[in-house]
Amino acid sequence: MRIAVTGIGVVSAIGMNCAETLQSLLDERSGIGAMRYLRSVHTDLPVGEVPHSDADLKALAGVPADEPMPRTSLLGIIAAREALQQAGLNDQMANNLAFISGTTVGGMDLTEQHWHDYTKGKSTNTIRLHEAGESTNAIARHIGSFSFIATPSTACSSALNAIMLGANMLRTGQAKAALVGGAESLSMFHLNGFNTLMILDHRPCRPFDAGRNGLNLGEGAGYLLIEPEEEAIARGATVLGYIGGYANTCDAFHQTASSADGEGAYLAMRGALQMAELQPADIDYINAHGTATPNNDLSESAALLRLFGDTLPAVSSTKAFTGHTTSASGGIEAVICMLAMRHGFVPANLNWSNTAEGLIRPVTHTEYKPLRHVLCNAFGFGGNESSLVLSTEGIDLPIAEHLVEPAAVCTADIADDTEVSTYISAAEGRRMTPQTRRIAVAARRVMTESGITMPDAIVCATQWGCMLQSMRFLQDMLATDEQQLKPTPFIQSTHNTIASLIAIMTANHGYNSTYAQGRQSLACAMEDIRSQMSLGLIRTALVLEFDEQVEVWDNVLALIGDRTQAVARATLFANKN
Amino acid sequence: MEQLIEQLKAQIIEALNFEDMTPADINTDAPLFGEGLGLDSIDALELIMLMDREYGIKLADPKAGKAIFQSVRTMAEYIQANRTK
Repeated sequence: MRIAVTGIGVVSAIGMNCAETLQSLLDERSGIGAMRYLRSVHTDLPVGEVPHSDADLKALAGVPADEPMPRTSLLGIIAAREALQQAGLNDQMANNLAFISGTTVGGMDLTEQHWHDYTKGKSTNTIRLHEAGESTNAIARHIGSFSFIATPSTACSSALNAIMLGANMLRTGQAKAALVGGAESLSMFHLNGFNTLMILDHRPCRPFDAGRNGLNLGEGAGYLLIEPEEEAIARGATVLGYIGGYANTCDAFHQTASSADGEGAYLAMRGALQMAELQPADIDYINAHGTATPNNDLSESAALLRLFGDTLPAVSSTKAFTGHTTSASGGIEAVICMLAMRHGFVPANLNWSNTAEGLIRPVTHTEYKPLRHVLCNAFGFGGNESSLVLSTEGIDLPIAEHLVEPAAVCTADIADDTEVSTYISAAEGRRMTPQTRRIAVAARRVMTESGITMPDAIVCATQWGCMLQSMRFLQDMLATDEQQLKPTPFIQSTHNTIASLIAIMTANHGYNSTYAQGRQSLACAMEDIRSQMSLGLIRTALVLEFDEQVEVWDNVLALIGDRTQAVARATLFANKN
Repeated sequence: MEQLIEQLKAQIIEALNFEDMTPADINTDAPLFGEGLGLDSIDALELIMLMDREYGIKLADPKAGKAIFQSVRTMAEYIQANRTK
């Protein structure tokens, strides 16, 4: 099957649509500057902010002014609608259309704005929107009807992982078309979080430069509408390009740092090329992750030089235009790659002036040349590494001959701490919350009992994510006026903390993902592994179900008659065919 | 100085979640990173935050921590010389 891209849509600091984004790229005009709409005391930190207030975005998105809506969803609606409109989808198509949208922030912006009201028992109509999956549902309600909705939440690689699931579902026939990508707004929460990691530059970021000193956060959304080429042609749609290949791996090295040799990044890029049956020399342009932190750029350079050697093509990071748009970055940068292929240019890596030992040398000004195959990277916390090949020519990808139903081999449900010392060392458990230790016990136990110690995939399903650390960080942030915050709660607040911790503990470089789709999270995780087993991409998968009960959040949920349900369950699935 | 070292050990145990340890378990001159306690880059950030919170010392460059955090003793000496509270 050839997977065609028939619609693209994008919003970021450099444009509210594809045309504006293209113009900014060609003019080498960055969107990074002083914050205007984000509420934070850290006004000295530059950001790539979408230049509209929430109220303006509501008007642009066609959302009623009184409807509660996370900024993430508003950005998502605008970009998703552009992609759908360009694809010219009609209502019949909507019968089997999947919407897969990555995010991590979700409705955190509303939670931090309304927190004091929540604690006083007021302002209840925004509470449910905290959930990442609910922020995706909010987008979906405004743009169409979908047969399947999923929210991958693997921090900064979320949107590329969304594209991969969509492509797999087309190849298994589980979807006729898929709107895939991601959305993420700035929030006080993650601005402060990245600040505790001391990786935010007080100047505009300088990817791959010797003097780079960290990243600038950005926001936005980016989506592709993908469908089988045959269907696209049959309905008279314009094919803009193709999905050539893709891969996700885990660096399995550290919660926040990338390994010095970029092992995970190397494996992801190599895997994407292998699926596309391309050689490194076939790639004409690489849109690097290139965050401009000392660690990322050196590690990514090592991986690039290892894979491409003397045939390293033009490389640039476009984060000096948009800022690091975290969960949306894979979607926004995939759209930038599509624009680059369509219009024949390599986008500039702005703000670069000097090279240093071990760093690749990026393209510093717009270069006009035809591009046939491009590679797009997105790497997230926990070493979640994703790479996507986009092409101007169709690349045949195998389809599933039949659907495989994953068979449960072994399961463990852990509700107490009696086995913690058996399965988890003191060093491993030092930073874990009690519920994290329980899920780690469950994972170790099923791997030990089944003898499947290195599953091909680790996929986590969670409704609320890592709420204990999230609530700690949120409350500290609001209580201290954003001062003197501890980094560990932030690092462990991301939804993919659990799946990446298990991969790090077991040195598993395989596929790694997390779904945060409310009570449908497990169904999303199962759809993912079913697709991959059916396509022969994996044979075994460890599925983790995780939620923790946190009193302070339960007090908030009580206002809407809900509560969290603690679960720490691990199940090993295998393809029994 | 000895009093500061003991206090610092207790603060490190608390900040880095060494639940089962007591100050007596930490060797004042042993390396904090790599061997010894086996700390990593997240711990380095926690220690920078600890110095800010408890002693009013602000480090702008995380790389500067490397020399300061060689051992509890080097850390205590740095705090003694630079503390603002």
